[in-house]
Amino acid sequence: MDQTESQDELYQKVAQEYGEALARMVCAYEADPELRRELSQEIHLALWRSLAKFNGRCSLRTWIYRVAHNVATSHVVRQARGKSVGAFLTLEEAEAQAGFEDVEHSADRAQALSRLFALIQQLDPLDRQLMMAYLEGLDAESIAEVTGLSAANVWSKIHRIKNMLVRRFHRGERNAL
Amino acid sequence: MPCDELPDDLRIPWKEAGMNGQVFSPNQLRAEAEKMRAKMRRLYLGLSVGFSTAVASYAIIIFNFHIFHNTLMLIGSSFSLVGFGYLVIYALVKRSRTSPDPGETNGVHFYRTELERKRDWTRGIGWRLPMVCVTSVFLVDLGLTQFLLKISPFLAGVNLSWGVFLLGFIGVWFPVKNHRTARKYQERIDALDSAMTSAGQTDLTH
Repeated sequence: MDQTESQDELYQKVAQEYGEALARMVCAYEADPELRRELSQEIHLALWRSLAKFNGRCSLRTWIYRVAHNVATSHVVRQARGKSVGAFLTLEEAEAQAGFEDVEHSADRAQALSRLFALIQQLDPLDRQLMMAYLEGLDAESIAEVTGLSAANVWSKIHRIKNMLVRRFHRGERNAL
Repeated sequence: MPCDELPDDLRIPWKEAGMNGQVFSPNQLRAEAEKMRAKMRRLYLGLSVGFSTAVASYAIIIFNFHIFHNTLMLIGSSFSLVGFGYLVIYALVKRSRTSPDPGETNGVHFYRTELERKRDWTRGIGWRLPMVCVTSVFLVDLGLTQFLLKISPFLAGVNLSWGVFLLGFIGVWFPVKNHRTARKYQERIDALDSAMTSAGQTDLTH
């Protein structure tokens, strides 16, 4: 089997196994539907290209998440174009705002999900990576491998982001009652 | 504690999203990659042809039609051509600088590199563009003012005022705006570094 063939086969396997996770990730990175399609294509293209270079030094899952998150980060930084790069919230800023936000009235699942996406989209790209990897069910060691943070640092950051998201999320639900 | 409820709370809607993402076949992606390469080739070719044509046309105008009324205008125009050529080359070189490999690089390092690239680009273009524009266009404007003084001092005054306005607008506003943007990128980089340092992580290079 030549390299192109194995690259194609590996990509198809990856797309089948991680397709939904990648789609969720794209939604949490980009709100605009047109840009979302572009980002999705960009991620799949980068994945397909990178699989030719996959050397097995880390797990395939780590490799896929790294490629997808890094391409999405690049997209976010490019779209921000400097003027709104300051609009990303650091954890401290997001925590400070959590108590005062006027959240939409909704208890419905679809709206809960869109609220979750909206909350994640406000975070700094690195914090988004952490939260999405956590929501996808990755353990702290795997998240550390993807992000480059230490496992202890991953855990404490996730704990803080969870606290902040829960406060905002439950506040939205209480408002709906 | 609400935090303990989160895994059931948020992971469920997240996992239940059940979105069917876009599906691409390897052949589609191969075609897309080829399309992007072709687009870049066309861009480079277009810029090269466009710039060469501009230089040739300019040379013909300068030497055949003698439309410049004095040496100052001629120097300013020639300088603008050289300056814009330099900007085109600068932009192409900067654009072609590749990002780190997304599969080999962890999130922190990749994000920092992207911010650094944007900061350097904004800083670079922030003083290069005004330097080229202001100096060349202002030289032409001064030459024209010198010429107009012989015809109408009023027109010369209007022309000079326009030159000063341009100098103020591009020469001051543009660098200040870009400096502020570059500072925002730098603040993000500093915040990232200090978050890493406070967490006991100092190595951001792998």
